[in-house]
Amino acid sequence: MSSVADMIDHAAHLLPQQSPLHMFVHHNTLHAFEHLHFEQAVLEGAARFGTEPYQTEQAFAQCLETARIRPVDIDAVLEPLHDDSVAPVIAGGPTRRELHALRLRNLFEIPKGAALHWMLEETGTLFRFHPRVPEAARAAILHSAERVSVDPAPMSAKAREEQSLEQMWRALLAVAPVVSRAGVSVRRRDQILAAYGADTDRLVHPLLIRFCAAFVDQGIAYWQMAEREQGLLAAFRALYGLGSGPMDRWMRGLSEELRRQGRDGWDAERTVSWALEELGVPHAEWQGYIEETLLSLRGWAGMIRQLEERPDTAPVDPPPARLADYLALQLTLDLHAARFELQPHAGESEKLADLATSRSAEVEELDLELVYEAFIVAQLAGVGPAEMTSSSAAKRWLEEIREFDSNERRRLMHLAYERRHRIGVLDGIVGHCRLGRARAKSPSFQAVFCIDDREESLRRQLEELRPDAETYGYAGFFGVAMSYEGIEDIRPRPLCPVAVRPSHYVTERALDESDAAAFAGKRRRQGQVTHSIGLGSKMLTRGGLLSALFGFLAVIPLLGRSLFPRSTERLAHWALHRTAPVPPTRLCVEGAGEVRPDGLRAGYTLDEMTGIVASVLTTMGIDKNLSSLVLIVGHGSSSLNNPHEAAHDCGATGGGRGGPNARAFAQMANDARVRERLRAQSVVIPDSTWFVGAYHNTCDDSMTYYDEDLLPPHLVDALDDVRGAFADACRLDAHERCRRFESASFDLDPESALTHAEAHAYDLAQPRPEYGHATNAVCIVGRRERTRGLFLDRRAFLVSYDPMRDPSGTILAALLRAVGPVGAGINLEYYFSFVDPTGYGSGTKLPHNIVGLVGVMDGHASDLRTGLPWQMVEIHEPVRLLTIVEAKTEMLERVLAQEAGLANLVNKEWIQLVAWDPDSDALAVYEKGRFRPYVTENPAIAVVERSMEFYAGRRGHLSPAHVTAGLFAEGRA
Amino acid sequence: MESVIQVMVVGIVGFPALAVLALGLRAWVYHPWSERTTVAIVGFGFSASVTVCAITVAWLLHADVSEVRVPLGSWFSAGHYSFDWNLIADRLSIPFATFSAVLLGLVASFSRRYLHREPGFARFYLLLAIFGTAVQFVVLAGSLDLVFLGWELVGVTSALLIAFFHERRGPVEHGLRAFVTYRLCDVGLLAAGVALHFMVGTSDVGPSTGGPWAGFVVPSTWAGASIVGLLILWASIGKAAQLPFSGWLPRAMEGPTPSSAVFYGALSIHLGPYLLLRSESILQASWLAAGAVIAVGALTALHATFVGRTQSDIKSALAYASMTQVGLIYVEIGLGFRYLAVAHIVGHAAIRTLQILRSPSLLHDHHHLEQAMGRQLPRTGGHLERLVPQAFQPWLYRVALERGGFDAVLKDWAVAPALRFLSRIDGWDQAWVDYLTKPSAAGERRSRHDEVRP
Repeated sequence: MSSVADMIDHAAHLLPQQSPLHMFVHHNTLHAFEHLHFEQAVLEGAARFGTEPYQTEQAFAQCLETARIRPVDIDAVLEPLHDDSVAPVIAGGPTRRELHALRLRNLFEIPKGAALHWMLEETGTLFRFHPRVPEAARAAILHSAERVSVDPAPMSAKAREEQSLEQMWRALLAVAPVVSRAGVSVRRRDQILAAYGADTDRLVHPLLIRFCAAFVDQGIAYWQMAEREQGLLAAFRALYGLGSGPMDRWMRGLSEELRRQGRDGWDAERTVSWALEELGVPHAEWQGYIEETLLSLRGWAGMIRQLEERPDTAPVDPPPARLADYLALQLTLDLHAARFELQPHAGESEKLADLATSRSAEVEELDLELVYEAFIVAQLAGVGPAEMTSSSAAKRWLEEIREFDSNERRRLMHLAYERRHRIGVLDGIVGHCRLGRARAKSPSFQAVFCIDDREESLRRQLEELRPDAETYGYAGFFGVAMSYEGIEDIRPRPLCPVAVRPSHYVTERALDESDAAAFAGKRRRQGQVTHSIGLGSKMLTRGGLLSALFGFLAVIPLLGRSLFPRSTERLAHWALHRTAPVPPTRLCVEGAGEVRPDGLRAGYTLDEMTGIVASVLTTMGIDKNLSSLVLIVGHGSSSLNNPHEAAHDCGATGGGRGGPNARAFAQMANDARVRERLRAQSVVIPDSTWFVGAYHNTCDDSMTYYDEDLLPPHLVDALDDVRGAFADACRLDAHERCRRFESASFDLDPESALTHAEAHAYDLAQPRPEYGHATNAVCIVGRRERTRGLFLDRRAFLVSYDPMRDPSGTILAALLRAVGPVGAGINLEYYFSFVDPTGYGSGTKLPHNIVGLVGVMDGHASDLRTGLPWQMVEIHEPVRLLTIVEAKTEMLERVLAQEAGLANLVNKEWIQLVAWDPDSDALAVYEKGRFRPYVTENPAIAVVERSMEFYAGRRGHLSPAHVTAGLFAEGRA
Repeated sequence: MESVIQVMVVGIVGFPALAVLALGLRAWVYHPWSERTTVAIVGFGFSASVTVCAITVAWLLHADVSEVRVPLGSWFSAGHYSFDWNLIADRLSIPFATFSAVLLGLVASFSRRYLHREPGFARFYLLLAIFGTAVQFVVLAGSLDLVFLGWELVGVTSALLIAFFHERRGPVEHGLRAFVTYRLCDVGLLAAGVALHFMVGTSDVGPSTGGPWAGFVVPSTWAGASIVGLLILWASIGKAAQLPFSGWLPRAMEGPTPSSAVFYGALSIHLGPYLLLRSESILQASWLAAGAVIAVGALTALHATFVGRTQSDIKSALAYASMTQVGLIYVEIGLGFRYLAVAHIVGHAAIRTLQILRSPSLLHDHHHLEQAMGRQLPRTGGHLERLVPQAFQPWLYRVALERGGFDAVLKDWAVAPALRFLSRIDGWDQAWVDYLTKPSAAGERRSRHDEVRP
C-alpha cells in the first residue's frame, strides 16, 4: 500500500510542468504520457483532461477543400489498415475500405443533443437527401426503395425520396443502441453537483486561488502574506484559524477545525488521509481521488509543484511551497464545503460515503447521434432501404459506423495531413538536390547561428546577399552552459538547456570600475523614480497627491503609446540611455575554479574552454575550413504587452537570451592559450582567424556585436563589411516575417518592413510581437551546403553536422540526444496549444491578467493558464517534427539502438524521422521500426533567383523552393 | 454665433452616436464592417467629438460665456408643464466632455492593434461607441432624466464588455454581477429624479446661483434636499464602486485590457463623482447628504487601500487603487473642494488608464526595474507593519484578503434570500404551467422520431 506522499508524487506527474513565465521553456505538454505511443497518448490525455486529441473534423474538412489534404493522402493512410477483402459490410453495400474512404471524404457535422432534436424535427433532414449526397447514390437509393416497395403505383421522385429515407430512418432507429450518459466521476463535488445542482468548487476555488496567489506572490501585493514562511498549510491555519474565521456561511466552523488540526500537530499527509476518510473515499480509490482533486485546479497545483521542485525558478524569492500542503488545504476545504451543501438535505439521510452509490442512477437514452450519422453515411454510400430490411443488416451498419468514430477518423486525417506536408518537404529536398550544389571552398566569412527555425530566413537572406559567406547552425548556447550575471542583472540566471544544471558562473564587468559605479548610480536614480511613482500611485495619500497634481501628465505617454508606439518607445529608450550610457564591459570567462557560496564555480579553466571550443567546432565540421572572420550569433527577443516574452527567447539557453553565450564562446576561441591547447588536439585555429560574438533580436530584427574593440586591425574593414551585410539581411528577414502579419500590407519594401517589425516589438497594444516558432515543422541535421539555396519558409531547425567527419556516429548520437527532445518539446507544445487552444493552450491573450509575477489568469481569479496563447500559435500547422538527418540508415539505426530517449521519441512516433543519404539524394522514412525508401511524388521544384520573388504577395505556408542566389560562390578577389 | 455653438454641442454627442448608427446598422444585418473601416468610423466619431469640444471651449473662453444650453425638444407638455430635453455646456461639462472624447479616441486607436483578428472585433467597437455616446450624454445632460438615459447605456455596455468572452462562465457571471449592482443603484437615480419632479417640479439643471457651474434646482426644505442628496449619492456609488457596492470592480477585469482601462480606470468609474459635482448645489444645502458623501468616500478609501495592498494580481491591485482614489474624490466633493476634485478626476483617469494598458507588460517592466535599482525591489509593507500592532496583523491581513467580508455579507444576507424568494416564485410558476399543460402534453410533445420507436 503506497503512502499518501507517494500518491501525491504520482499524481503530480499529471500537472502542467510550466515554470514561472519569466523562465518559460517549451516542453511536451503531454510529457506525463511520453512513455506511450503518440496516438494512444493523445487519446489518454484527452480523456484525462477533457481536451481534444487532434484538430476538429471541421478543420480537416476545410483542408480537404483547400487541397491541403488530397484524396491520394486519404487512400494512402487507409492502405495499411485493411486486408483486401472485397466482401461488403452489408449485402449490397460498400466494402469496409470503400466505406472508410467515403467517410473521410465527407466529414459532415453531427449535431449534438438538443441541436439534433431540433434538426430532426424542424428541418427536412428526414425527408430530403443530405446536400452532399451525389447523384449516383441518390439514384441507387431510389432504385433500392422501388425494389422493396409494396405499393406498385408509380410515385413522384419526391415522394419516393421521402418514402425511402423514412424507411431507412425507421430501420436504423429500430436497432438504435442505448447509451448511458457518462457516469459521475469520483469526486464528491461532482456527485453533489449531479444530485443537488450545488457546485462546491464554486465555494472552494475562489478562496484557494486567492490564497495560493497571495502565497506565491513575488512582488505585486504591497503587503506580503503574514506567516508565509511557515508554508502554505500552516499559513492558512494561522490566518483562517483566527477567531471565528471569515464571515462566509460555508466557512463556519472552519476556524475551529483548523485550530484543532494545528493543535494536534497534523502535517499535510495526515490531514489528507483524514479528509479522504471523512469524505468517505475507500482507500483503494485514494489515488484517483487525489488526481482528480488536483486536476480540478491544475494550473495552481502545477505551479505549487514547480516551486517545490525547482525553487530556483521563482522570479524573486521562492515561497516554501509543497504540493502536499496544497492538497491538504484543498481537501479540507472540499470536505467543509461538501458538508455545508449537504446540510439542507440532511433529512434525506445523506452521508458523504453513500453519495456515490445512492446517486449514481444513470440516465439512459437512445444514441440518436449514431443513428443520424449512420443515416447520412448510408445516403452517401447509396445504401437504400432494400439493404436494411433485415434488422441484422441495419445493426451491422450501425456497428460499422460506430467503430469508425470521430477519434479514429481524425487520427487518419491527421496522418494524411502530415503525409501531405512530408511529401511537400521531401520532394522539395530531392528536387533541390537534383539541381546541384556548389561546395564551399574558401568563404570570405562564416557565421554560426542558433539552430532555431526563425534563424533559417536570416541565414538564407544573408547567403543570398553574400554568396561568398557560409553559415552554420549550433544549439544557441554554443556549448557554454553557464549561469550568467550581466552588468545590470541582480542575480545570475542559467543560460543553457533546461536539462543541464550549470556549474559555472560568468559575470560581466565594466572595464572601468568607476564608470560602472557612476552608471549604476544613474540607473538607480531612474529606477527609484519609476518605482516610487508606480508604487505611490496605488497608495492612498501618495496616490492622491500624485494623481491630483501630476496625473494629467500621463496623457502624454498615453498619446504616444496609442498613436505613435514605435517612436515613443524609441524616444523613451534613447532618453534612458542618453542619461545613463552603458559603460564598455568584458565577460569574466576565465576562472581558477574557486567555488562560490551558491555552489557555482567562477569561470572556466583553460582546459574546460578548450573542450567547449573543440567540441563545438568539430561537431559543426567547421574546424578544417575556418575563414578569417567567424561570427557567433546568439538570439533572443524583447517585446511589450507579452507576459510570454520568454517563450520567444532562445530555447537552447533555457528561455534566456543567447548573446552572452555567443560572446563567451568567441572570447574562449580567441584566447591564444586555448588555441594552443587545441592545436595539441589537432584542432587548428589559424592565427588570422577571429571570432566575434553577436546577438540577434528576432522580434525587432536588430543586431548587437560584442567586444569589437578587441578585433585585430586587419579585420576591421571586413567586420564593417559583414555588419553591413547583416543589416541588409535583417531588413530582408523582417520583410519575410511581415508577410505573415495580416497587419502588414504586401507592398512594403524591406526598409518599411523593418519599421513594421519594430513597431510590433515596441507596441503596448500588440498581442503578436512576433510569431515565434509558430511555423516550426521540420528539423534538418546535416551539412548546410546541401540545404543551401533551399527556401524553407522559416519552418526548419537547421543543425550543422558533417557525416563525412563522423564515421563512428558518436557526434551524431550526442547531437540527436540534445536536439531531439528540444525540437520535439517546442513542436509538441505548439501542436497541443493549437489543437486545443483553451484546454492545452492558455486561450486568447486579451483578458490575461498577470498574477504574482509567476503566471497569467483569464481575467479575475481563474485557474492559472498554462501552454501557449492563441495569438502565438494561430498560424501553426500541427504536424509532428519532421526530423531529417543526413546519415546512412544503418548509422541512424545504430544511434537509435544506443540512445534510449531518442528511440522512445522516434518509435513512439512523437517525431518523424527521415534518413538522408550523404552521398545521394535518396531519402528513407522511418516507419514502424524500420526505414523505407522514400518514393518521390513530384520532385519538380520552383526555381527563383531570390526568396523574395517566391514569397511575395502570399500569406500562407509555402512549399520549398530553389533559390539560385543563395548558392555558394567564391568571393570576389 | 450661439446657434452655431449649440449645433457644436449637439455634435459632441452626435458624432459618436452617428458612429453607433453606422456600426449598428451593419451589425444588424450580420455583415459588420472590416476592421479598418470599423476603426475609421469610430475614430472619426471621437475625433469629430474632440474637435467640436475644442471649438466650444474656444468660443466659451473667447465670448466669456459661462454656459450654453441646447434645447433638444420637448417630450410632452400638459398645460403649463412641459417635459423638455436639453444639453448644457458649461465649465463643468465641457472639460469632461473633451477629456472623455480624447481618451475614447486614444483607446479606440490602441484597440485597433490589440483586438486585431479577434472574432468580437466589431462588437467591441460597437460597444465602445455606444459607451462613448452614453458618457457624453451623462456629461452634457441638462436634466437628471437625460442623465438617466446615458447612465443606463453606460451600465449595459459595461456589463456586456465584462462578459465579452462569453464562452467562459466567469466573465458572464461577473458581467451579471456588475449589471445587477448598476440596476440596484439606478433605483436611486430614478427615485432622485421623481423626488425632484415632485418637490421642485423639474429635474433640470437650474439657473446659475453664483457657483462656477449651475446645479440641479434645490428643494426648498432641508429634508427635501437631504432626501434628494442621499438618493443621488445612492445612485452614484454603484458606478463608482463605493461601499457597500464595491465588490464588482475587481471582478470586472474580465474583458479585453483596453476596455477595462477606459471603463474602470478612466470614465465609467468617474461618472459617480461627476454626478455628485453636478449635484453640488443640493449637497451644499444639506450637511447630511454632504456628510454621507464624505463618510462613504472615506470608508471606501480606507477599505480599498487595505484590501488593495493584499491583491496579488495586477488588475485587481489596480482596481482597488482606482477605488481608493475615487473614495478620496468623494471626500473632496463632500468637503466642497470642487476644483481639486476635477483635477483629481482628470489626473487619476489618465494615470490609471496608462497603468491598466501597461499591465500585461508587468514582467518586462519588473525585470527592467530590478535592473535599474540594482537590487531586488525594496520590501514593501513595513510602514503598515509599524502602524498596526503585531498581534492584530494576521487578522487584518486575512480580512483584507477576504475583501473585508463584504462579499460574504452581501451573498449570505442579500443575494441568497433574494434567490430563494425568486426560486419559490419560479416553483409556483412551474406548478401552474404544469397544471395548465399536463393533460394534453403527452400527445403533442411526441416527435416524429419518437413515434417510430418500436
